[in-house]
Amino acid sequence: MVFQSVEQLIARKKELEAIRNKVKRRIVVCAGTGCVAAGSLEVYDELTKQLKEANFEISTDLMSCAHRNGSTHFVSPSGCHGYCQMGPLLQVEPDDILYMQVKPKDVGGIIATLQGKQPPDTKLLYKDPHTGAIQKGRNEINFYAKQERIALKNCGFIDPESLEDYLANGGYNGLIKALSLSGKEIVDIVTKSGLRGRGGAGFSTGKKWQSALQAKAEPKYVLCNGDEGDPGAFMDRSIMEGDPFKVLEGMTIGAWALQSQRGYIYVRKEYPLAVKRLQKAINELEKAGLLGDNILGTGFSFKVTISRGGGAFVCGESTALMRSIEGKVGEPRAKYTRSVIKGLYDCPTVLNNVETWACVPLILENGWEWFASKGTKTSTGTKAFSLVGKVKNTGLVEVPMGTTLRQIIFDIGGGIIGDRPFKAVQTGGPSGGCLPEQLLDLPVDFDTLTANGSMMGSGGMIVMDCRNCMVDIAKYFVHFLLEESCGKCTPCREGLRQLHYLVTLVTEGKGDENTIKQIERVCHAMKEGSLCSLGKDAPNPVLSTLKYFREEWLQHIQEKKCVAGVCRALITYWINPEKCTGCLICGRACPQGAIIGEKQKPHRIDPAKCDKCGVCYTVCPERFSAVEIH
Amino acid sequence: MSKINEISTPPPAHDFSKLEQILNRYPREEASLIMILQDIQDEYRYLPCDVLIETAKALNLPKSTVFSVGTFYKAFSLQPMGRHNIKVCMGTACHVRGAVMVLEAFQRELGLEHTGTTEDLEFTLETVNCVGACGMAPVVVIDEKYHGEVQPDRVKKMIKKGGK
Amino acid sequence: MKITLNGKQIEVNPGEYLLSVIRREGIEIPALCHHDAVEPVGACRLCIVEITRPEWEGWSRLVTSCLYPVEEGLIVETHSKLVSDTRATLLDMQLARCPDAEIIQKWAKEYGIEKTSFPVREDADKCILCDICVRICNAVGRYAIARTSRGIEKVVAVPLELGEDQACIGCLSCAHACPTGAIEWKEDSNTRTIWGLTFTLEKCPVTGEVLGTPQQLDHFAKKAGLSRDYFTKSDKAHKHETAKKFVKII
Repeated sequence: MVFQSVEQLIARKKELEAIRNKVKRRIVVCAGTGCVAAGSLEVYDELTKQLKEANFEISTDLMSCAHRNGSTHFVSPSGCHGYCQMGPLLQVEPDDILYMQVKPKDVGGIIATLQGKQPPDTKLLYKDPHTGAIQKGRNEINFYAKQERIALKNCGFIDPESLEDYLANGGYNGLIKALSLSGKEIVDIVTKSGLRGRGGAGFSTGKKWQSALQAKAEPKYVLCNGDEGDPGAFMDRSIMEGDPFKVLEGMTIGAWALQSQRGYIYVRKEYPLAVKRLQKAINELEKAGLLGDNILGTGFSFKVTISRGGGAFVCGESTALMRSIEGKVGEPRAKYTRSVIKGLYDCPTVLNNVETWACVPLILENGWEWFASKGTKTSTGTKAFSLVGKVKNTGLVEVPMGTTLRQIIFDIGGGIIGDRPFKAVQTGGPSGGCLPEQLLDLPVDFDTLTANGSMMGSGGMIVMDCRNCMVDIAKYFVHFLLEESCGKCTPCREGLRQLHYLVTLVTEGKGDENTIKQIERVCHAMKEGSLCSLGKDAPNPVLSTLKYFREEWLQHIQEKKCVAGVCRALITYWINPEKCTGCLICGRACPQGAIIGEKQKPHRIDPAKCDKCGVCYTVCPERFSAVEIH
Repeated sequence: MSKINEISTPPPAHDFSKLEQILNRYPREEASLIMILQDIQDEYRYLPCDVLIETAKALNLPKSTVFSVGTFYKAFSLQPMGRHNIKVCMGTACHVRGAVMVLEAFQRELGLEHTGTTEDLEFTLETVNCVGACGMAPVVVIDEKYHGEVQPDRVKKMIKKGGK
Repeated sequence: MKITLNGKQIEVNPGEYLLSVIRREGIEIPALCHHDAVEPVGACRLCIVEITRPEWEGWSRLVTSCLYPVEEGLIVETHSKLVSDTRATLLDMQLARCPDAEIIQKWAKEYGIEKTSFPVREDADKCILCDICVRICNAVGRYAIARTSRGIEKVVAVPLELGEDQACIGCLSCAHACPTGAIEWKEDSNTRTIWGLTFTLEKCPVTGEVLGTPQQLDHFAKKAGLSRDYFTKSDKAHKHETAKKFVKII
């Protein structure tokens, strides 16, 4: 149906909420990228098949629940639940049971539980690693219980391809509110909420909108940055895939406030599912009269187009992103005029990232006081992070700003894999830095992270343990940036070329005292001289590791040693004859044929043949751990 | 002058049948260029020079513009790509969980020194800077299918399956 | 409008960029991607200057003077320690990129660098990627060359040429504008070669001077809205003819 007015939409929302409330059980199978890779779609198919066979009354979309009388099981896929480590995930509401690592063969047991024939299979439930207690649902599991989800609220709860489901769960309350307000009033609310850009720099969203509101030129554009190029970050991906309507609602609110008629969502090419879901959402919204001409009979028109990126990290930078939407090479422009004044096609442009847009409808719906009451004074609200690396519980988490790194990594993340010592956490992507253990109690907010040589960035949080070498991590980011620099300006292009050379010297044990001096000199010139923030911040991973892990750098230089056992030129692999049982696994796996030894007798590595690929180290069963790095 | 030859001209495809369909999906304006090139890349598995020239004409753009864009973005290749595409994720999460070893295993099994396409055009090995599936690192994407927690010793099997 | 440049208060015109003021004042700073005929892009970063304002309370920043518009009350330093150090490192790195580019050698020497402290780029040419050639070619209206690839692989190249239908008209605008002489070209009595393309030359039937390539003359005639015939003779011949006509009149 096409909504002709706000009243019609409200009436429809009431109907849909009523239908939702009539559903007996809601069963959601995570169809986020992680769970799909782990086989969740097979689980979903098996579930619907077996439910039918067991004569359950099921619906796979909300609308067909309408004619039923309260005994329907509403089964649907959803966006990412965030607990990627434990996928595929299957959630049953209102029972609050979260099944984990579900295989198609487990479906029978789950159905038996639904029938009341047996309690939930504890093998599929979460077991607290510290206490061993079984925790059956989100309210009990630490990973979820310690989070506060705003931007990710719907992810994992609703069917991302159903507008009805979105409307039945609070969707478009924000826009309904916004349509009763003037542009200035909306900008005021956003400003007072303290919302700051979730994409990196943390600029006040309200102030940005204010400048665009005041800008005289027409037309004005509203853009969504879905480029999410920071490696190790996937919050925006999950929101676009799990709750695309919310992003579009946020953009519509922004467009209404600024009286913009054109919006673009720039999505990186690595996210095909996000493109598909967003496109589907746009089509649905156009059909419903919530996008396009004369939205809800207000006379206001807003069209959104998806622009697929071509694969370039630099396009996350605002001016490069705008060039890319124009179809051009994504080179940043030196800007002494801000893009809110002269942006896309040189017109006033508001660019916010996915998570920022997703916060907007909720701020409108619940008021700025509600949002500002969360988090810290200067960084309000919550922030989503992708907690990954050497942490036990990897996945998406959302916490109030000001939560400490320790709470995130140890309480929610459950600590380090294998309980090895924590070494560093990398935040802010290639523009950020590595923070050491002594800073674990830092509250995570925009200003604190920046003051300590890292930055919030888009929210990647990569945890590292004693087996990660900080010089290698610095080299990793320099290499990453070397591949991704657009090459337009000298400091970034030539600086990265030299930085890569210099850092490689150190990892190969060829560096000397002067190397570090030279590295710092290049970093300085890049910071001061580069054209865009990508270049200016590119030295951060190097500088932050030099600041907090200087000893490790010096070990590489003076002792020619990599204690983490990563830098190949500085290590040798050795099989401990006392631990080796001669199981032959490493010998078969060694690509160089460098491992000598008979069955059930200790093996030995031929150093002449060994190219230090490390395969033996990874394949040696944990119970033996016979391969050692020296 | 020596630099001119370093950017090699991609081989022509002599087949414009698919191009017309691609062009018709988008408004004929510069803003469509990147998406058109993506579709060309998907259809032809690279950007053939004659197809690029036709695209430039259709969008009324200088050839140099199309060439700039076609060589700037990582999604595009000027050489034909393999039938199967293997992307090894080199995102930070994958890196700290051993993506380098996974990449090397693919290089060994495919006989490639770096990344690129095997001689029989069966496989193209690429690295990608984060596919956003960091929770299951290290990740490899083979023909759009995601594989999580890949260990080097699984690589041989993965290639066999991919090439079936 | 007034600004303070290296401690001296001077009058400037609203709308102009810092670089033009700096040059007018006779202060020499390198600005290698700057060319008066085309829009500035701020790529070489050598024209950086340090700016501050009294109300910034000691805070200052570096900006590229080629792109920064003058502002009332701005305090500008062209050779502060921060500027000179940064500029020197940039020149050092450019010298590693293009050790044979004379203009880089000259500026590097000015900042105390005789030899680069970095490893020299393999197969180094003289191109510093200032982008002047590309912008000039676009201004001429040909769009014949482009920056291709990205990052350290970036290179200016002629795209997708298949022998015919070339956008390059062999006008040499790019080569003449290049600050480092990176674009090689050669000419003998009948042909001109640039970007790997060879053009025949048209000569003045009167004086025998080289007029240019036929493609170039066609393009200029069209662009200027003049008859192509005008371009079949050299300036000298034109003058000669006019003088003859003039003599006849008197």
